[in-house]
Parts: sequence; C-alpha cells; structure tokens
Amino acid sequence: MNKTTLIATIFILVMAIFPFTVDSAWLSIGITFLVFATVAFSQDIILGRAGVFNMGHAIFFGIGAYTTAILNVHFGLEIITTIPFAIIFPIIIAIVLAGPIIHLRGDYLLVATIGFNIIFEQVLSNDLFGLTGGPNGIFGIDVVRVFGYELWSDTAIYYMAFGLLLITLLIIRNLDNSRYGRALYYINKDEIAAKSMGINIPYYKLFAFALGAAIAGVAGSIFAIQYSAVSPESFSFMQSVMFFAIVLVGGSASLPGVIIGTFVMFVLPELFTEFKESRYLIFGAAMVLTMVLRPNGVWPATFGNIPKYLKEKALKAKPKGETE
Amino acid sequence: MKYVLEIDNVSKFFHGLVAIDDLTIKVKPGQIYGIIGPNGAGKTTLFNCVTGIYTPEKGTIKYKGEDITGMQAHKIAQKGVLRTFQNIRLFKDMSVAENIMAGYHTKSKQKWYHAIIHTSAYRKDEQKAWKKVDELMEFFNLSHLATTATGDLSYGNQRKVEMARALAANPELLILDEPAAGLNENETIELTNIIRKISQMDIGIMMIEHDMEMVMNLSDYITVINFGKEISQGKPSFVQSDPKVIEAYIGSDDDDEEGEQDDK
Repeated sequence: MNKTTLIATIFILVMAIFPFTVDSAWLSIGITFLVFATVAFSQDIILGRAGVFNMGHAIFFGIGAYTTAILNVHFGLEIITTIPFAIIFPIIIAIVLAGPIIHLRGDYLLVATIGFNIIFEQVLSNDLFGLTGGPNGIFGIDVVRVFGYELWSDTAIYYMAFGLLLITLLIIRNLDNSRYGRALYYINKDEIAAKSMGINIPYYKLFAFALGAAIAGVAGSIFAIQYSAVSPESFSFMQSVMFFAIVLVGGSASLPGVIIGTFVMFVLPELFTEFKESRYLIFGAAMVLTMVLRPNGVWPATFGNIPKYLKEKALKAKPKGETE
Repeated sequence: MKYVLEIDNVSKFFHGLVAIDDLTIKVKPGQIYGIIGPNGAGKTTLFNCVTGIYTPEKGTIKYKGEDITGMQAHKIAQKGVLRTFQNIRLFKDMSVAENIMAGYHTKSKQKWYHAIIHTSAYRKDEQKAWKKVDELMEFFNLSHLATTATGDLSYGNQRKVEMARALAANPELLILDEPAAGLNENETIELTNIIRKISQMDIGIMMIEHDMEMVMNLSDYITVINFGKEISQGKPSFVQSDPKVIEAYIGSDDDDEEGEQDDK
C-alpha cells in the first residue's frame, strides 16, 4: 500500500464514523466540508491537472445548486430527479463559456473566468426570468425522497455528501490512470511538447472543464439540499477564489493536498469563530507564507504512476555495461 | 511512396526578415538526412515549419504525398511526424516511463469515458501501451530508470527519453533537433548506433547536428543552409569538400556567439 492509498483509507474511515462522534453543529460543518472538498477536487481536475487557471469554479457549483432549487421549487420535480440536470447543465455551460476562451494563455483566461463569475452573480441577483429569486435566492427546497423514504436528517445528508466524495475520488483515480488524465498532465507540464506528441490541447482542456463542472454541479445540488435554500453570495467570485486557493495551498493534483487545503481554508476558520473577523488576518498571512515557503503547496503531488512490474524491473535492472 | 517528406520551395519570414528562403528538401523512408549550417541559419525554423509550430509563407510541405502545410501541430504528429527538441522538452517532474507514454497518446484507443470508468477494453489498451513503453525502455537501455523523474537524469539519458517518447508513436518520420548537443564522446557513440538502428526500421530521419564527425558518419544525404538559403546539397563526401560550405563555416566564425535565435 503506498502513502496516498494509506492516507485515503484513513481519511475515508475517519469521515465514515464522523457523524457518530459529534453534535449537530459540527455535523453541519462536516457536510459542508465534504461538499467543499468535492468541489475542490473537481477544481483540481481543471486547475491542478490540466493547469487551466479557472477562477470561476463557483459558477458550476452554483448552477448545480440552482438547478436543483429551481426544478424542485418552481417545477415540482423530486430532488433525486433534478440531479441528472444538475450534472448536464453545468457541463453545457462549461463548454459554452470555456470553449471560446480555452486557447487563451493562463493569465488572460483567469481574467475572463473572473468576468464570467461576476456576470453569473449578477444574473442570480437580478432574478432571471423570475426563476433565480433575486438577492435572497430560493427558499423551501424539499427533502430528498427515495423509494418512499424521506431523507431529512443531517446524518442522511452527510452520507449523501460522503458518497459523492467517494465517487469523485474513484473518478479521479481512474482519470489519473487513463489516456485522458495523462494528456492533462502533459499539457500542464509543457504545451509545445504535448502538441508535438499529437495531443489536441483545447479538446482535452474542455474535457477537464466538463468533468470538473459535472462533479461541482452535483456537489451544488447537495449544498442546496443541506441548507434547503440557495442564494447568490454562496457562488460569488470570492467563493471561486477559495476553491482556487484550496488547490494551490494544499498542492495541485495531490489528494492529501486538496483535503488539507479544504480543511485549512474552510474548517479552521470555523474552529476559531471566537476570534471573529480577525482570524482571516491569520489566514491571509498563512496563504502568503505557504506560497513563499512551499510554492507547490503544503503537500505537493508525486508522480511515477506506472504499473508495478515496471517499477520492480527498474529496481532489479542494472544498466548494461556497468556489470562488466 | 518515394518520399516520406517533400519540402518544396518553402520560405518563412519573421517581421519581413527572411528566416528560411526557398528551401527544397526530400527525405526517403529509412534515410538519414542531415541539415547543417552555422548558428542562426534557420535550421530549427525549418523543423518548426514541418512540425506545424510555424506556418511557412511560401511553398508546400508534403508528408507521404499529403499536403500538411500549415496544419496544426497535433494533427501532423497524429499522422506520424514526431520530433525531439534542441533544448529538451520533457515533462520534468514525471517519470521516464510516464514521459515515454506521452508518445503513445496517438496510438491509444481509449475513449473519453475510460477516464471515468475502466472497462475491459481499457485494460487491454493500457496493457498494450505499457508493453510498448517497456520495450522502448529496453531498446534505449533505460529500464532501470523507469521510475526516475526525467529532470534528475543526465543530459544523455534525457535525450534518449525524448527519442523513446517520439518512437512510442510509431513515427514514419523522426525529426531530431541537435540530438548530440551536450553529450560526451561515449554518449555520442551510443546515440549514433541508436539512430542507425532506428533508420533500419524504415523510419525517415531528419537531423540537425553540429557534431560534424557524427553528421558525416551517419547521414545518407546532407543539405547545408546559411542565412536561410541552401548553399550545398549532396552526399557527405561531396558536401565536405564543397568550397561554398567551407567558406560559409570559416566565414561565420564571428557569428558563433549569437546563438540560435529561431527557437521560440
């Protein structure tokens, strides 16, 4: 068992028993932690793997949340039937928005995505077609019903979020071991080398966007279920900044990194609520320090994701000529 | 198919300045074609035109009879034109095996959903891919370095990984931009043998190289370029004794420090 698998196993076990060890306030923080971690992992596909400076990830998170809210409150759909839409709509929006700007260089693309996020916030606040509910958002989202059971308790919602995170981790593991996942890394490391190897860069970057948006969309759906309400400020530009920072502070394309990042950027501020706003002073300073001292994040990614037999062969093999 | 690559009257300008001027070069399968010339002569620019990094303003480039002038770089690579870089472009943090795997990208049959769900077709494809990587590491004597990050390798091994990566795509035309630059004598000899073996696989090789002994020794045919223009063309023995070539090399001593400016 390698280090990442070990950490993942311990993390999953701790999170699995977490609801039985805490009160309701902490359970609620636990749910949001799982949702934010899922969104951060989906951002990590775009930012950490493909290396695309997406500063508008809250858009896809928000579209997922608002899709569930609107379809449930305005159209009376069961929560569970809104979820496929909370996957498809973010994918469509991701491709429509990112398509025309995908060829832009990192910094230009970053500014463009900030623009999209600001427009998105305005659209939500201005009650588009009377559907988004304006600055106060949408209230009174139904409980989840599956086969006649009403899943209203926070514990049930916790395990929904937990299930989604597990699926996300599984997808990321599969991604990293596939042609598509490797192509993203190659693009991130050296675009000229990547395209000289036959990799169609815009196509793979859009794929990363679509996959990241789909996962963030479902996470948004669970976020809407947890609070049975949605409002524009949860999907603001500042929220995108948080997801961006989680990945960079924790460590791009690193599983422990993203978990640590989410913990530091979201859970720690909750732990120190007694310090009020002054705690953000510490966090700001901590972000600056991390980037200065550990520019690759608290827990940087490691490579060498190759079949076992090749690793063993490498250990056994001696270069020809040195044995003689 | 007589020629794997036909460059016909190709010219490339940068801001009105001529970088390459009316070049015509034809490479046969299995041939080693040397391109030599003083620094700044336009050799790398020519390679960048062939591989789609630049689009030439005049002339046509044909690969196996098909016009590829101005085609996007990834499409040209998908057709079977693979290259290495003068200043080595490896994925530095990634292992040797992962780097070579990049070359297999165009050969892999994996679909988008294999990034999410692993099916039996995925497993078959993945096994085949790693087998190819394994074979190439054996061929280049890199097996013991499979897990090593390429950034930690010696110059010679980095050059070998770049070549292995290009070969993983089963190219029919391999473009080598100064493969021996920075290598010691032993490494150069090893590389010479490797290049000769590759050409025996019926792969056309086009090579820029400053190591004259190596070029003269390896090449079947040579074009000499100066200021973007062809000044001589022929078998190594002919080119070596061509007075125009000798003049260009002796006359260019002053320019040597300027370095290649066309590699951007």
